[in-house]
Amino acid sequence: MTEEVISSGFIQTPIGEANPPPLKKKRNLPGTPDPEAEVIALSPKTLMATNRFLCEICGKGFQRDQNLQLHRRGHNLPWKLKQRTSKEVRKRVYVCPEKSCVHHHPSRALGDLTGIKKHFCRKHGEKKWKCEKCSKRYAVQSDWKAHSKTCGTREYKCDCGTIFSRRDSFITHRAFCDALAEETARVTAASNVVAANSINYHFVGASLGPGMGQHFASMFKPISTNNETPANPIRQGLSLWMGGHGLSQTQESIGNNNLQEIHHQLNPAVSTSGLVFTTDPFVSVPCSNSPPINYPLNWDFGNKPSSNSSEELTNNISSLPLSNVAKDGGSQVISVPSLFSTQHQSHQTHSTANMSATALLQKAAQMGATTTDPSFLGSFGLKCNDSQIQDGNRYCSPYGGTATSVATALQSSVTDHLSTLNELQMYPSKRRHIQVDQDSTPTTGGGQTRDFLGVGIQSICHPSSINGWI
Amino acid sequence: MDISFFSPPETTTFFHKNPQKNDPYLDMQSTNNQPQSSHTSTSISSDSGEPCGDGKWASRLLRECATAISDKDSTKIRHLLWMLNELASPYGDCDQKLASYFLQALFCKATESGQRCYKTLASVAEKSHSFDAARKLILKFQEVSPWTTFGHVASNGAILEALDGENKLHIVDISNTLCTQWPTLLEALATRNDETPHLKLTVVITASIAKPVMKEIAQRMEKFARLMGVPFEFNLISGLSHLGGLTKQNLNIQDDEAIAINCIGALRRVQVEERTAVIHMFQSFQPRIVTVVEEEADFTSSKNDFVKCFEECLRFTTLYFEMLEESFPPTSNERLMLERECSRSIVRVLACDDEIGEGDRECRERGSQWTERLREAFSPVSYSDDVVDDVKALLKRYRTGWSLQPQQADHESGIYLAWKEEPVVWASAWKP
Repeated sequence: MTEEVISSGFIQTPIGEANPPPLKKKRNLPGTPDPEAEVIALSPKTLMATNRFLCEICGKGFQRDQNLQLHRRGHNLPWKLKQRTSKEVRKRVYVCPEKSCVHHHPSRALGDLTGIKKHFCRKHGEKKWKCEKCSKRYAVQSDWKAHSKTCGTREYKCDCGTIFSRRDSFITHRAFCDALAEETARVTAASNVVAANSINYHFVGASLGPGMGQHFASMFKPISTNNETPANPIRQGLSLWMGGHGLSQTQESIGNNNLQEIHHQLNPAVSTSGLVFTTDPFVSVPCSNSPPINYPLNWDFGNKPSSNSSEELTNNISSLPLSNVAKDGGSQVISVPSLFSTQHQSHQTHSTANMSATALLQKAAQMGATTTDPSFLGSFGLKCNDSQIQDGNRYCSPYGGTATSVATALQSSVTDHLSTLNELQMYPSKRRHIQVDQDSTPTTGGGQTRDFLGVGIQSICHPSSINGWI
Repeated sequence: MDISFFSPPETTTFFHKNPQKNDPYLDMQSTNNQPQSSHTSTSISSDSGEPCGDGKWASRLLRECATAISDKDSTKIRHLLWMLNELASPYGDCDQKLASYFLQALFCKATESGQRCYKTLASVAEKSHSFDAARKLILKFQEVSPWTTFGHVASNGAILEALDGENKLHIVDISNTLCTQWPTLLEALATRNDETPHLKLTVVITASIAKPVMKEIAQRMEKFARLMGVPFEFNLISGLSHLGGLTKQNLNIQDDEAIAINCIGALRRVQVEERTAVIHMFQSFQPRIVTVVEEEADFTSSKNDFVKCFEECLRFTTLYFEMLEESFPPTSNERLMLERECSRSIVRVLACDDEIGEGDRECRERGSQWTERLREAFSPVSYSDDVVDDVKALLKRYRTGWSLQPQQADHESGIYLAWKEEPVVWASAWKP
């Protein structure tokens, strides 16, 4: 650990460059910093010091660099001194001062000062903050505050349907519940991860808070309350995509409660699938490529990203857990991929897929119903449940819940530019708005060939080739 | 008959046999041995809203009867037994229930048929003792009352702290809790540490719980531990004639394991004379921690004085029944089961002087008495503030009436769970 030397209010004395292998990912996972970044090591005392940024003029201390800069402006400095120190601003990453910690090594440094502070407190600090209701202890005050807001308001739902308001009685019940016996039958069939995941999907909207590190504890995260804030549809929606995946993985890709990041990651997925159907592949595939009837082609983002136009999206795709699953052939059965897997793995007897898909569809249907035009979604939900693995309805299953988002993406991308996809939020209001246009279109094509894309396929390609494709 | 002496009972509808409370008491007062034919009237009904024992007729009658038995006054005995029989009902209010179950025990005592009666009751109970029923019963009880969970939370907290940092844990569970204590511990092990230790759980059952029930429970525990991601091993020791028969071998204690001995309601099943030996046996296992939870009642020191023993039994049972009545919904099958279980215990305590079966003996002692015994081999461990906080938070989750009586600094040790300020359950932790 190097003792920090503060002079003129700037952080100095970097240890050295981190030299990890070059990363392909665009967005960094926590603990895998940019190799060009400057690594800072602070002592515990300095880390926890509240006023680390000192003004060189008056010596006033500030918690954040931005605050210091703002303050410095007030001193009317000559232009030269207004600049920061000689080197250009490089991205700074921080290592944990605790030697035994994983993040002590520069290659696993964390990128945010606040992040390293919180990490240090959580992992190596004393838990000073305590919840009154349940005696849970926290080292970071913001964690404690966040917990206090929701403590006691959450409910825990067992697979058997019983709802508990107390976590301890829920855990005890869970251990003896009959649903557990069935659960573990699936565990032995698939993999151990499945158990956590398939339970996980009950707990939609689980907070991505500090407790997430323990992946099994996450299964006991309560189900979300019914107080839907605008953010909740996103989280619920995304948990459909990602919830079953084991929160530990999402933690890697999401970081600390950064909904924004999740959103960005998800959007490309939405957009991509839209692209797959609307732009090049949509034109090329049915008409020229005559793809084999394995729908993974369209869903397997990881395998065929090149067919899409936007480069940026492909980079993001590979970072999505979804793509990993698709590549693995759905060995890890996760809530969302199981939706996909019903298509190309229909011949595989994947019990979890059958179970999860239906359950997820229902769940998605009921979630979608609250936010979108029920008739639009409901019709698909019903149809899809009946004939999950039928030819004509092969698209139905994955679209059961996400039909709205994807279909709207398709709709808008056909009619608008690609950029609208990036803007396309999963906000119900927008969805609903676009829904109105599509209301008339979905039912064309009859039972088998549903024009749920609602894009007027006829205008782009000959219907018969669509049929052949489907 | 002058009934103005008593406040008139309220006329709530009550479908069971409703004696007129006033009559029997007056009857006794006037020392009129002619039985009154004032029963099975439903017009004046006992108010089930009144707290138990308010009328106190049951306790008075019962005490009278006990005294009569002790004095061997057969006429009085017969008379009182008859009266109790008229008034008692296992489906009535607290008084009636107490009267009913204690009547059974007193009758057995008077006729010296305690052993047979107990055996009959026990076999009846065993027939309906399936895994589902037992699970439902225990879980429901834990949901409405902290009677058992108090001990679980305190013990788990002490165990986790004592074994913190160890990789191989071995918990010897001598209890009849059907492993309801362990899911929360498993969850804590899975989430608390970065390194989840390996847990070996050896359950020693002493009461005559059917083995199939424990087998099913073992399976569930193993599955649950797998789910939690805790490396887990489960062993069951049953059919042990007495605790003294435990050895390091049959418990399969390895040298590299960190041992915790968890005794919930177990020590009272040890014969009084053997208790010191058992405690020293525990010491020989070199445990890191011994957690003991017992109910706060003394049936041991008054063994030779029937009336005193009876009084204590009545006192404790009254508390228990009152607690059950207020915790469960009015028509609860689970409560009925628990009351019946208690009644078997009453018969055992009052009417069975001989050896029944080792596992079924129950001579309770108070916390202070256990402390004296345990001090011979162990020294007390105070519960940490965190554990005490956990217990307090637990009590908050239940209805009002429960409180925690903290550990005394002086010779007493352990914490007490109190129901309406009366200590009912004692929990403590010990280290060698």
